[in-house]
Amino acid sequence: MKKTTLIPIFLTAILTFFFTRQYFMQGEEMHAEKHEEGEHESIMIFSQELLNEFGIVVETVSGGVLEQTIELPGEIQIDPDRLAHITPRFVGVVKEVFKQMGESVKKGDRLAIIESNESLTTYELHSSMDGVIIDMHFTKGETAQRPDHFFAVADLSEVWVNLSVYQKFISQISLGQSVSISVNSAIAQTGNISYVSPTLDKHTRTATARIVLKNSDGKFRPGQFITGNVVINQGEYSVLIPKTALETVNGKTVVFVKNQNGFEPVTVKIGKENHNSVEIISGLEAGQKYVSKGGFVLKAQMAKGSFGGGHGH
Amino acid sequence: MDTDIKMKKLIQFILKNRLLALAGSLLVLGAGYSSYKQLPIDAFPDVSPNLVQVFTTTEGLAPEEVEKYVTYPIEVAMNGLPNIEKIRSLSNFGLSVVNIYFEDETDIYFARQMVNERIQQAREKIPNGFGEPVMGPISTGMGLILFYYLDDETGKYSLEELRTIQDWLVKFHLQTVPGVTEVLGIGGYEKQYHVIVDPFALLRFDITIQDIIEKIKTNNLNVGAQFIEKNSEEFIVRSVGLASEIEDVKNIILKSESGIPIFLNQVADVEIGGAIRRGIQTHNGMREVVSGMVVKLFGSNSSTVIGQVETKMEEINGMLPDGIKIIPYYEQKTLVEACVKTVSDALLQGIILVMIILFLFMGSFRPSIVVAASIPFSVLFAMIGMNLFGISANLMSLGGLAIAIGMMVDGSIVIIENIDRVLKEKSNDESKIQLISKAFLEVIQPVTFAIIIIIIVFLPLFTLQGVEGKTFRPLAYTIAIAMFGSLIYAMILSPVLSSFILKDSTNNGEKKDLWILRIMNRIYEPVITYFVENRKMAVWLAGSLIVVGMAIFPKLGSEFTPKLNEGTIVVRLSMAPSISLNESKNTTLIVERRLIKIPGITGVVTRIGRGEIGAHTDPVNNAEIYVLLKPKDEWGNNSQADMEMLIREELENVPGVLVNITQPIAMSVDELLEGIRAELAVKLFGDDLEILKEKADEIADVIRKIPGADDVQVDQITGTPQLLITINRNAIARYGINISDVQEVIRASVGGETAGQIFEGIRRFDILVRLAPNFRNTSDAIANILIQSPDGVDVPLSELAHIEELVGPRQITRENNQRFITVQCNVTGRDIGSFVEEGQGAIDNSIILPAGYLVKWGGQFRLQQEANKRLAVVIPITLIVIFLLLFYNFNSLKNSLLILLNIPLALVGGVVGLWLTGQNLSVPASVGFIALFGIALGNGMVLLTYMNQLVKDGVSIKTASITGALLRLRPVLLTALTTALGLLPLLYASGTGSEVQRPLATVVVGGLITSTILTLLVIPALYKWFSDKKN
Repeated sequence: MKKTTLIPIFLTAILTFFFTRQYFMQGEEMHAEKHEEGEHESIMIFSQELLNEFGIVVETVSGGVLEQTIELPGEIQIDPDRLAHITPRFVGVVKEVFKQMGESVKKGDRLAIIESNESLTTYELHSSMDGVIIDMHFTKGETAQRPDHFFAVADLSEVWVNLSVYQKFISQISLGQSVSISVNSAIAQTGNISYVSPTLDKHTRTATARIVLKNSDGKFRPGQFITGNVVINQGEYSVLIPKTALETVNGKTVVFVKNQNGFEPVTVKIGKENHNSVEIISGLEAGQKYVSKGGFVLKAQMAKGSFGGGHGH
Repeated sequence: MDTDIKMKKLIQFILKNRLLALAGSLLVLGAGYSSYKQLPIDAFPDVSPNLVQVFTTTEGLAPEEVEKYVTYPIEVAMNGLPNIEKIRSLSNFGLSVVNIYFEDETDIYFARQMVNERIQQAREKIPNGFGEPVMGPISTGMGLILFYYLDDETGKYSLEELRTIQDWLVKFHLQTVPGVTEVLGIGGYEKQYHVIVDPFALLRFDITIQDIIEKIKTNNLNVGAQFIEKNSEEFIVRSVGLASEIEDVKNIILKSESGIPIFLNQVADVEIGGAIRRGIQTHNGMREVVSGMVVKLFGSNSSTVIGQVETKMEEINGMLPDGIKIIPYYEQKTLVEACVKTVSDALLQGIILVMIILFLFMGSFRPSIVVAASIPFSVLFAMIGMNLFGISANLMSLGGLAIAIGMMVDGSIVIIENIDRVLKEKSNDESKIQLISKAFLEVIQPVTFAIIIIIIVFLPLFTLQGVEGKTFRPLAYTIAIAMFGSLIYAMILSPVLSSFILKDSTNNGEKKDLWILRIMNRIYEPVITYFVENRKMAVWLAGSLIVVGMAIFPKLGSEFTPKLNEGTIVVRLSMAPSISLNESKNTTLIVERRLIKIPGITGVVTRIGRGEIGAHTDPVNNAEIYVLLKPKDEWGNNSQADMEMLIREELENVPGVLVNITQPIAMSVDELLEGIRAELAVKLFGDDLEILKEKADEIADVIRKIPGADDVQVDQITGTPQLLITINRNAIARYGINISDVQEVIRASVGGETAGQIFEGIRRFDILVRLAPNFRNTSDAIANILIQSPDGVDVPLSELAHIEELVGPRQITRENNQRFITVQCNVTGRDIGSFVEEGQGAIDNSIILPAGYLVKWGGQFRLQQEANKRLAVVIPITLIVIFLLLFYNFNSLKNSLLILLNIPLALVGGVVGLWLTGQNLSVPASVGFIALFGIALGNGMVLLTYMNQLVKDGVSIKTASITGALLRLRPVLLTALTTALGLLPLLYASGTGSEVQRPLATVVVGGLITSTILTLLVIPALYKWFSDKKN
């Protein structure tokens, strides 16, 4: 009987062996394929065809001129020295009006005839300067008196541009800086800052920077909003590259440089910059080949090993 | 014995009511056929988890905000739902996905209803304008049944126009097809009315962007004002003021100064444009296309739905403008058809092979017919069961039938063979009916038990869980039901049909045995005599077989489940997480151009990112390329694997792109399971993303040093650049501006804000107010955006806020309300248990976690361990039950043990079979082993019963061994052969899905060979030792 009792034990042992082994072994080869990635080389080799296919542009490092600007909103204003208010000296009835709104006048031009109430004699109003009538309150037959009735004559051959300078820019604005004035995003004219207000406006908390503009063709109209780009710094730098060349890798700013082995990221230190270009203080030398456009592809290739994980697939 | 009497009564009753039995069987056949017609047809069992997805699109929110404002309230609301398994969430840029996993048995509609109730609660907690949570489609990972794109032959339609056609015509009509739950559009541009604001004009007219939004909203309305009565009639009063075209919007008056109105078009350009998009669709490396995905309703019949969708598409094609056509580029139909073809071919061939064997061995036509009729009966019986239990017809369930083909006839073979034999040896005084009942009674008990044992051995399969469970349970079900059907056939119909069809050979009773049997008997007789006389040789034979098996076993490779070829290749590209949609598109187009150069590929269609939510949640750095292939026979000698190789080679040097080749269904199912594909995962739970990342890197370093660690990978949770605008509270206080004032301007100016809709008939399109591009698309431009203070001062944003560029989270994943990061790895060359132990120790020793941080080990090894544990209990129980049945049958411990001896020998055959064909141990192979248990035992039982019978009749044990074996050679060989040949087509099938069943078939065929040898040689030889009678 002893022999026979051993048999079920033997059988169960074999079966358990078969099944448990199988389940333990299952994992072993499950993910053998997913191996190659992981280690990233910092030098990458790209054939010319590949560069073309992916639109990667390689250029030579050179120097150039960099202009730094700040953009400020502003308004066209009449130069107060070029504005005249012509008012009646004596209260009287308007007998005749010779000029209308918007008409150009010369100095000495007759504007109106008024009959004085006191003396009942008539006298004439003359323009005191060359300019355009920008405002008037004179109607035939009415009684004209001082503050209410007047001709405003403005000389618009020169206008002021008043730029509002926000607090944080004030330190960067100084007399003589060149400013390009644009109307509706199109550059119209350039001028220089001739005045910066010493105090801030109590209401808007801005300082005013003024540029005097020639306006012989009258294209700037007082009251118009414009944008002024103030050149706050301009200089020539020995290493100047387009901003499209900069890539951020692990929190560091790098440029991909091509050397005899291939492409390699080089950490760079950035100096002055504007919208398009950036000065490189260290890390890059004139004459080196670098990726000016399409560096993202190289960056992605470098990081390839790390973005496999996570969601999906 | 008690049962004997019952059986006698049963057979007498059956034979008395023969016509009733026939009618009953016809009823079963009819019901089976109608069930077959109703069965839903799928490609394979749906292994998607039981889950409800809650999606929330949030316009332009970064992952942190999505998590805080949207994901968290939803998660909290879902806590405590009944039957909930876990909650996992993903907060991505602009999208929150909360997956609520329910236990497998939970009714999906019940679950959705519960979730919906809770969504209402969550809604209240999500701030206004941060998105509305919606549930995903009522579908599963296999629900994406058809993808199509719109082909514009004329080339004159813009992407907006095409998308409008898709959304308002194609989608509209396709959604009406029953069984379609959703049609998701992607690609092109969703049409919008864009109000592109000029900031200088705002300044000029002293208007803010909020004023514009407000004005548009208040000038675009229809109202009703009840009715008036006029001459006993009611007139409904309505006032219409809805903008219906671009001019209406342009002429909205913003304000009027001294009687001069300022129109919207003085401060903004109004034009038709495309909505901001997070996904596009490209075609052949040439252009963008507009496409759609048809999602099938949960539980509906794939094949009918697809058929109806196709008819509908024909109809829609007729309605589309000239030159535009719907072109499907992926259809699950192809796969369903291929799978069904594979198994139905195997079924048919199996049936034919079994028939041939029957005719060869039975020698005459009539008995063969009676036996063969068992197949349609059992198959149709199984159909009734499938219909009843809601099992769809698919690769696995039909595969179960294909596997069982040979086994279905086993019972009736033994019975009919015996009846046939008895009838031929007929002595004149007994009637045909009496003879049949006598022959029937001789064998019915072992037959019944053999079949019951086969059914019982499949019990462990029912305990399989998860993906394996869902995959293989249908197979186990159909086999069990079909076997039950065959039992009914054997018990009731086989004697009835015998009585009708079999002839009692009165005159030529001395008819000679069949030539094939004569030859075999001639070979078998000396062999069996030798073994019975030299029992030790039999022991040696069995022992050496077992040794061979155990030697080979460790050499087998292993895999989870063999890869199922779906016949469609998807190339999945992962690009850098920070990539822009445009760059992503450029890269994809390059990849597409490379792919279409490969011979055999006719076209490629790619989805980048995600379209309408519901199916995909990919960010824009993911692209899925559907590779359209020529028909398989035009590939030359290439297999799918070869095609994949070609693709891999072609894409090898694409920089910055990770290429992953997969298949549509596998991919979407994986995405829903979303567990880690690696077998081991260390999940670190905690709050601070930085600390999580840092500690996870430390853990990865520790794990890498443990011997056996492979593919150690830390989840990428960061890597998305952000432009962070931090508002300076002191600065805004000076101007008297509120934070929200600033933020609203930022949102409207940079991201754009919807200010209502324009109705064109029933089509509605958003009006989006946004700054002109060059005033918002660089950080400098954003810094210059002006914000108006309450007293009318315009202040640039840079005065009020600090703007910086930094790298932020890519996505935030949470499980059960806690953030986590995963470190995954595989283990090679050692067992996982010890690896986990060592890893846990190492982490405890070398990593100091801050309070509130927690490490959990998980991954597929858990599932495997659970499966092991379950099987370790269930398999012994099954064996005990089988043993009890055997014991009940033989009433002898020794006899039962002799039968059980079959099992190890059968296993050896299975192992050798796998080894010879170069296959791995896998789940289907182990299912094969389980099946073997049952099959192997059946043969031995029939033989042993007969030998016992002879001994009882007074024959000596030795003679009984030899004569018993010789007499039972025919049924034993026949049953083994039918089972094996029934499986043969599965062994050689090369169609879609055959790869899953091949290991199973291999194991059973291999095992049958060795166990038949045992039954025929070893059992008679050892019979003496195991017999209860002593001579």
